[in-house]
Amino acid sequence: MTTTILIFTLILLVGAYLAGLLGSMTGLGGGVVVIPLLTLGFNVDFHYAIGAALVASIATSSGAASAYVREGITNVRLGMFLEIATTVGAVGGALIALWMPINAIAIIYGLVLILTAAMQYRRKVDHTGVVGSAAAHRLKLCSTYPVKGVGLVAYELTNVVWGFVVMIFAGILSGLLGIGSGVLKVLAMDCAMKVPFKVSTTTSNFMIGVTAAASAVVYIQRGYIEPGIACPVMIGVLGGALTGARLLKRMKVTVLRQIFAIAILLVAINMIYNGFTGKF
Amino acid sequence: MDTVKPKHDMQGLISRALRIGVTLACCIAAIGGIYYLWRHGGEPMPDYTQFVPNSARTEAADYTSLSGIVRGVMALQATEWIQLGVVVLILTPVVRVLLSLVEFSLERDWIYVGITAVVFLVILMNSLEGVA
Repeated sequence: MTTTILIFTLILLVGAYLAGLLGSMTGLGGGVVVIPLLTLGFNVDFHYAIGAALVASIATSSGAASAYVREGITNVRLGMFLEIATTVGAVGGALIALWMPINAIAIIYGLVLILTAAMQYRRKVDHTGVVGSAAAHRLKLCSTYPVKGVGLVAYELTNVVWGFVVMIFAGILSGLLGIGSGVLKVLAMDCAMKVPFKVSTTTSNFMIGVTAAASAVVYIQRGYIEPGIACPVMIGVLGGALTGARLLKRMKVTVLRQIFAIAILLVAINMIYNGFTGKF
Repeated sequence: MDTVKPKHDMQGLISRALRIGVTLACCIAAIGGIYYLWRHGGEPMPDYTQFVPNSARTEAADYTSLSGIVRGVMALQATEWIQLGVVVLILTPVVRVLLSLVEFSLERDWIYVGITAVVFLVILMNSLEGVA
């Protein structure tokens, strides 16, 4: 029996909904989960998967950022400044994607997944008593954020140059893979710049849409964005992300994240193996 | 508190713009998608296992260029309507950058007006270069 377009669309819609749910509850973002869903689950070509991931990244980022900006957690200045690095990186990444063999891109994606899995096991410690560097003060990057029961808490940050450099790499990966590369963004802000964790994650999320938009037109023109795939993915992932955000408020997800990290690792190994054997 | 208030209005505006953009994009894509299913739902699914680059097609698909999307939308083509939703989605963060530009100008924060303008130009130039 051949699969009709209707069946394919409905199954993909459900799959994308679950991907969005998982992406938002684990903090991975919708784009990362969409790639294995399409390539391993539906046997879709990697190029189309990257295009769908880009659409999913923008949808979840903009959807969630809308709430965070209102609550005042996002550091808009920090995000804006670092977006210079990520957009330039994304333009570079989209160029690299033109000549890089798709199997090599699949391997890089696998490596990003391994980094993601490792990050799920890291303990989240909020930096205290960070003294802001001169550059951070000059760029007015130090700010405040609301903490439940405490009110506004002030924070400072440091290592602006390092953060900027890591963000260029995050941008390159976004342009190359269509994903938000939230892991690298959080790594840059949390580990290098010593920004409070909650601010890092929401600011990272805030930046993902803009980073993805920088390479989006090129993606459309190369034919990576296939309407028949993009439509169910966009609607499904966004719906899943909204449900996930609502569930997050009521659930502790630490255990879920750690279990999920093992699943990510398996997918990563699968991707890297398939990449090396030239399956894509 | 005069200096604080406009900033908060701006954050509300940015937040609302993001939500409206995403909602609008999804609605357009959903309309296109339902129409697509109505017209083609019973057909066997296209072969997505092999990527066909534009250069290899005898006739480039309409939904891979802006002019093609506009043409398809006018001609009520389902795939181009979906792609219009994608374009609106892409424009959402770009509009956000422009709103930030306005916000920083109102605050007379010239460093950030400059930074935001650079980000906007990078996106714009990359998109225009693509179009050319």
